[in-house]
Parts: sequence; structure tokens; C-alpha cells
Amino acid sequence: MPGAPTYPQFPLRAPLSGRRASCSDAEVPACRGRAPAAGDMLPKPRSRGRPSSQADRDGGRGGDGRAARSAAAEEAPSTSRGAGGSQDPRRSSSQGGRRADAPLVVGPRSQKQLELKVAELVQFLLIKDQRKIPIKRADIVKHVLGDYRDMFPDLLHRAAERLQYVFGYRLVELEPKSNTYILINSLEPVEEDAELRGDQGTPTTGLLMIVLGLIFMKGNAVKETEVWDFLRRLGVYPTKKHLIFGDPKKLLTEDFVRQRYLEYRRIPHTDPVDYELQWGPRTHLETSKMKVLKFVAKVHNQDPKDWPAQYCEALAEEEDRARPQASAPSQASARSQTSTRPPTSAPSQTSTRPPTSAPSQTSAPAPSS
Amino acid sequence: MQGSSRRTGTMTDVHRRFLQLLMTHGVLEEWEVKRLQKHCYKVHDCNAPVEKLEDFIHNINSVLESLYIEIKKGVTEDDGRPIYALVNLATTAISKMASDFAENELDLFRKALELIIDSETGFASSTNILNVVDQLKGKKMRKKEAEQKEGEFTLHTRAILEMEQHIRETYPDAVKICNICHGLLIQGQSCETCGIRMHLPCVAKYFQSNSEPRCPNCNDYWPHEIPEVFDPEKERGAGLSKPSRKSLRPRQH
Repeated sequence: MPGAPTYPQFPLRAPLSGRRASCSDAEVPACRGRAPAAGDMLPKPRSRGRPSSQADRDGGRGGDGRAARSAAAEEAPSTSRGAGGSQDPRRSSSQGGRRADAPLVVGPRSQKQLELKVAELVQFLLIKDQRKIPIKRADIVKHVLGDYRDMFPDLLHRAAERLQYVFGYRLVELEPKSNTYILINSLEPVEEDAELRGDQGTPTTGLLMIVLGLIFMKGNAVKETEVWDFLRRLGVYPTKKHLIFGDPKKLLTEDFVRQRYLEYRRIPHTDPVDYELQWGPRTHLETSKMKVLKFVAKVHNQDPKDWPAQYCEALAEEEDRARPQASAPSQASARSQTSTRPPTSAPSQTSTRPPTSAPSQTSAPAPSS
Repeated sequence: MQGSSRRTGTMTDVHRRFLQLLMTHGVLEEWEVKRLQKHCYKVHDCNAPVEKLEDFIHNINSVLESLYIEIKKGVTEDDGRPIYALVNLATTAISKMASDFAENELDLFRKALELIIDSETGFASSTNILNVVDQLKGKKMRKKEAEQKEGEFTLHTRAILEMEQHIRETYPDAVKICNICHGLLIQGQSCETCGIRMHLPCVAKYFQSNSEPRCPNCNDYWPHEIPEVFDPEKERGAGLSKPSRKSLRPRQH
């Protein structure tokens, strides 16, 4: 591409991926002979490897009723895991104390301990999301919760609430029952933000936006060969190193796929093998067809309505999202959203709509740069 | 929210955007923070008067308290610039992030930290740090991996802000303290007679317009050059662009 094209604002609601987030840098783990530090509530309990036979895998079960449970490791599992979040009769909200006769026992969990756990979880989620890799429940349990794993839904719910209230980030499950989560920015990106950021944002977003636009305009799926034909006109090649984007092939077929912005599937019975690119689940959550259409229109200095088929499709999706259905609207408060279901639009996207391409509309001429 | 009875502030989208953008920086100078604040007001709430920065930050901090993080204000050790950084207050969380770094990398950081604290000047040379590489725990690290630049390393202001407490607790004997502000001291000036130390900005303030500076402890002549007190107005007026200063010292990020 000759020079650096100036794109209109990318309509991706990703959390600002600061290279240096709040707590990633000056960390020092427990040093030799560490003195107890301010934040220490208890010495880290040894993980007991209790099976977490959680019946409820989706979070979002309201209520902080299960706040403090006595979870004595030596005894039989005391935390009630019955259906419907029934209360544990031995629930106590007393101080976190350790019983003298069971030195390794976690003890009843006080509000303060839980608060600290939620704080750790929030920090963990912020840092993990920076890399744009969906966060797995297993990682959360392994690195943050440990013995608190039985409280996963509750703690995650609280963390989600904090993330939304304090930072404006929504915690969303990538796909139903996937047990992987990402953060979506509930604040709209604004042009001037770019000047005030401490990092440079990611230059690769430009390439992503072009490809997302292309995919949508071409009817929600496009062959890899077509993508390269198009990108070639912009001076981007699969085999050639690019000044801004580095390795475009790797970006499109690996990095963006791993980040769940794109889906890359082999088309069966093709020879030579060809692949198909579609929007990934993260894209559906972070943006919308209308936003992408507006972006494409702006790049061409035209109006979204100049592509009537795509415009209708985008409009339909907007209505879909706005309608309160069984699976909550995308703009609902974090409370009901958290780790249960993604916005309605996600499932309906895949390949149910017939490609709406008519020759004159889907041509995406190279932006005059 | 958390069922706490603390008097916490209220977050609005102005505060949220501010926090989001703040988090993209490791550390920010005061004038940059003010600019950021104005921007956020403009985006969300054009007509509201911009709250005084101190109160604005205090409000946000009261909400951040339950998350064990804080927007902390500090002062650069070399030239007394007021800076802000978002720091982590809960040391238990730190070890969690060990999952992002290899054991040998963490150990290297720890050892480099010790070298810096033990040093006389607050700087550890890259040679000394490299020599430590052989003693690292974990996977053997080649010297090439450890190498940064030629020169000396010290602690970035941000690290000092965040880790002050931890450092004071972990190295109570080696740690140096400023005689004036009693804060952790990595770089500074010291009295050649009695050995007390002071931060450069503390020296500047203490000896301001004093033609015969003397050690506050032993009254001997203070032998070092007295730096100027940081004046934000003078700096902006001169149109100096500060980013270049940040790159002077190789940093451990």
C-alpha cells in the first residue's frame, strides 16, 4: 500500500489493549524468605484436588447468597452443590479464621477474603484479555481460584460486575457452554482516543477490518484465494513480508483465528485445497454488520445504502439485537449477561443467510490511496 | 455492590474511559493526566465542569480500593516530575502472573532488583546482571537472552511506586531511605560524612535558595550540585518534549 492509509475509526469494541496494563510489569513473585505482605490473608493453601462436581456450569446465577461458605477440606465436601444454588446451612460470614486443629484448612471464607479473590480475578481477566486469547475457565481455576474453585460462578459473576462498573468492560462467554471468556468494551471507541493512548494500538487491526469488510460484503463467507486476489491489489501478499503487517498469511490464518476474529475452514472436495474465511465469534460480539458496512462505505466515500442487500442484512441484524428475546439483548446490563449467553446475533450468523451478492454490489474496489 | 459500607465514589463513563486510557500507559506525567481527564469529559459530558484532578482521582481510587489497585502519585527520582501510575496493592496476586513469565525470567528480575538495591548508585551495570545469569533457577538462560543494552539499569519510577512496600519488607537491611521524605530511595545524593541520603528532588526542595547547603544530619557542607526544583510552567513554556527523557535510561519493563 502506498503510504499509510488513514482509515476511519475501526468499529471494534475491544478493550484498549495496553501493552502495559495495570499490573503486568513490575511484578515480583514471592522472593526468598518473603515476609508476609499487606495483601496476604492466609498462607496459600495447598490445592486439594477436590473434584468440582459443579452442576451449574454457566455463571450468572444471581445472588450473593453463597457468599461465605465453610469449606473444610478435611471434612467431607461441605459446600452444597445442589441444583439451583441452594444455600449451605453452615454458611457463615464470620471472620476468616483458621482452626487450630486443621492447619491446612482454608476455613470459613470471610467477606474480605472473597473480596481479594474477586480482585485477583479481575486483574487476571484484564491481563489475559490483553493478548486477545479467550480466557479458559480451567486457567481461571488453576491460576486464581485454587481452593475457591467451588465458588467459580459466584466469583466470576462478581468479577464481571466489577469489570463493567469500574472499567466499562463486559465479560462475555465466547460461545454458549464453551467455558471461555472475552472482554468487550462497552464504551464506544472515539477517534481522539487514539492520540491519548499509551500504546500504538495494533496496526494489524487495519488488515483485519479490511478482511471483515470483504467477508461481509461477499455474503459472510469468502474463499481464501479470493481474499488474496483482493489484498494483492493493496500490496499485501501471502508470501511476502509486509512492512506494517509482517506476515499477512500468518495473521489471517493463525493469529486472527486464535483470537477468534476469524474462522478458517477447509472447503471439502476442493483440489487444490481451498479454505473459507468467515467472521469468528469475537467479531460478532465486538462489532456488527451495520458498523462494518458503515466502515466500508466510509472507505469508499459512499453511503451504506448504496449496497441495498448488505444494508438490509445489517438492518435485520440490528433489529434482531434490539429485540429482547429469551437470550438477552446485547446491550443488557452485565448482570444478566456475564457468563451465560452471547448476544442473540451470534448463532444466527453462520451460513443460514444465502449469499446476497450481486455483481455490482460486492465488488470492493481498492480504496483510492 | 459488594455489600460494603465504605463511602465509595461513583463511576461514570467519564471515569471509565479515563481509566481505560490510563491503563494503556505504564506511567503518565501530571500534565498528560490532566489532558486525559479533559478529553474524557469532552467525550461524555461536555457541559460538566472538569473536577479538580486530585478529587477526580481520589473518587476513582475509592472505587478501586476493593480491587486492590490504586492510581498512585509519585515523583521521578531524577528530576522531581510528578507522575501517576496504576499500581497493584495486593501482593498475593503477583505470583499469579508468574504464569506469564518463565521461572528463569522472574529470577533474573529478582536478582537484578537485588543488585540495584544493593548498589551504591542505584544502578546495576549490565555486566553484573549478566554475570548473574548463570545462577538463575529454572531453565538455563543464554546470556544473549538476558542482554538488553550496554549500560546501566535502574528501577523505573513505576516499579518504585508499585513495589516500594514489597522492597522495604523484603530487603529491610539493604534498602535506602531518603532522609527528607522517608520514602524508598534508589537514586539520590548522599552526605560524604555521615552517609545519609536524599532524593534529588528532595535535595532541590530542601536547599532551595540556600547559598550554603549543609547536611541536615551532621551539618557538614553538602558537597553535591543542588538540582533545580521542577517547575511545570517553565517546562511547558520551553516547549521541551519530554518523551525523549524516558528513553535515557534502559528500563526493565
